[in-house]
Amino acid sequence: MILGIPDPQILLGYGLAIGLALACIVYGLLHWNEGDGSNGS
Amino acid sequence: MAVDALTMTVLVLVYLAATLVIGYLGYRQTKSSEDYLVAGRCSHPVIIALSYGATFISTSAIIGFGGQAANLGMGLIWLTVLNIGVGILLAFVVFGKKTREIGQRLSAVTFPDLMGKVYGSPFMQVVSGVVIIVGMPLYTAAVLIGGAQFIRETLGVSYSTSLVGFAIIVAIYVIFGGLIAVMYTDAVQGAIMLAGMTILLVATYLLLGGVTAANSSLTAMAPLVPANLVKGGMTGWTSMPVFGSPIWLTVITTLVLGVGIGVLAQPQLVVRFMTAKDNRSLNRAILVGGPFILMMTGVAFTVGALTNVYFYQTQGKIAVQVATGGNIDTIIPIFINQAMPEWFVVLFMVTLLAAAMSTLSSLFHAMGTALICDVWGRGRACALSMRANQVGVLVMIIASVIIAFLMPGSIIAIATAMFMGLCASAFLPVFAVAVYAKKPDTTAAKASLLTGAIVWFIWALFVNTRYASVYGLCKAIFGVSSLAGLPWSAVDPLVIALPLSAIVVIVLQLRADHREGAGAVPVAA
Repeated sequence: MILGIPDPQILLGYGLAIGLALACIVYGLLHWNEGDGSNGS
Repeated sequence: MAVDALTMTVLVLVYLAATLVIGYLGYRQTKSSEDYLVAGRCSHPVIIALSYGATFISTSAIIGFGGQAANLGMGLIWLTVLNIGVGILLAFVVFGKKTREIGQRLSAVTFPDLMGKVYGSPFMQVVSGVVIIVGMPLYTAAVLIGGAQFIRETLGVSYSTSLVGFAIIVAIYVIFGGLIAVMYTDAVQGAIMLAGMTILLVATYLLLGGVTAANSSLTAMAPLVPANLVKGGMTGWTSMPVFGSPIWLTVITTLVLGVGIGVLAQPQLVVRFMTAKDNRSLNRAILVGGPFILMMTGVAFTVGALTNVYFYQTQGKIAVQVATGGNIDTIIPIFINQAMPEWFVVLFMVTLLAAAMSTLSSLFHAMGTALICDVWGRGRACALSMRANQVGVLVMIIASVIIAFLMPGSIIAIATAMFMGLCASAFLPVFAVAVYAKKPDTTAAKASLLTGAIVWFIWALFVNTRYASVYGLCKAIFGVSSLAGLPWSAVDPLVIALPLSAIVVIVLQLRADHREGAGAVPVAA
């Protein structure tokens, strides 16, 4: 049991949700200046 | 109501006045039809992210789905996983950038317009517009009802006055200010929502003795799960239901997949990509969007489940036993009123109002422009007229208010899942092909769109018990709530309709590509 939650599926869900939110931050920072210009990609 | 009525009234009125001022600023910047329809294609990344998130998250996610978590437990966190992974990362990175590029290249101004231009087919534009005009008012009415119920309780005015007054306030800035006003107000409303939900999470865990103590208490309550839910497969509030059980099917197929995937092809969200100046704006928006969604749905589902601990410790009851008339939509408001300090009750109520208004304004705008640009005015000179689109928005607002008066209560979460499921089934495969195929095939798109929409409606009307009971058609014609038994009656229409519409578009697109390739050989030779 971790943080009072016994089911690994629930813990995995929380881990993935937080991990994906962090991934959004990392993606935004790494690509901060990419895609400039009206037709940039 | 737990707080002083005068304080609440004053703060709500201040909030509404501030919203109108921000809407007015948007109106001042709206000079052309492109400003009105796609915010001039130059929105700031933070505005895009907060507007996308605030439109995405309505009172449904906080109240409706928070109540579902109080009833069914923390398993709903998997919806947050999809909300971020699919609704933000996949939506912005895979779909958003291509949508912006194609939308700008083809000068598309609405989602149906994009479909029509990519496929070179007026049929695709009109049918996409019709699906929006027919499907979206139900979801809009559900959001409208939620906001009106709050205003009635807060300001003490009648339900009818609340409903009409609420619609008029949102209508003013949507009709006059178009998408710029909608996105400006969305961004401010999103910031209010972020503050409210962050404080709610921290305050709840502090109230219940910390993270581990609160979660452990909830885990220890597993024997208190009602017998009917245990029979349906529920094992506790901190564990997943039994795999394949009716509750597992409802949680996974309707709540997690239905809403989690459905968000990808919602017209009012897709148009946000077309407001970006460049892909750099979308990259920066992702940074804000992911954490924002985590703090909205993740907090709602966690706090929703933990309300059971609070009610058990204070009243010896689980959450659903405290809900007014058994209506789980009342659990979160009751918890806030009983457990939180007065100032937070006020902040949370404004948070809810902001969540409702940000979603509502975008839905009004999407429906009105679909009516004028894509259906009634398509091919006419007025299609891109700002004045005509303002009239279209007004017509759809009136239609939504009428439907809101006719709809039953306790329908917020169901209406949300229904609309998102319909959008995914009808639009997602053709949207994916539209942005990624070299030569999108019109026949494949038409067949896929119709297959997704028709199969979804048939399954919703006659097979899925939850949806069929809302429509009442199956009961009226056949005298039963579903034409199929378990497990099919618990399976969401999306699970059947989306794969079918995807298979149709893939098979027909490949066939078209093959013909193109075969036809190209002699020419090349």
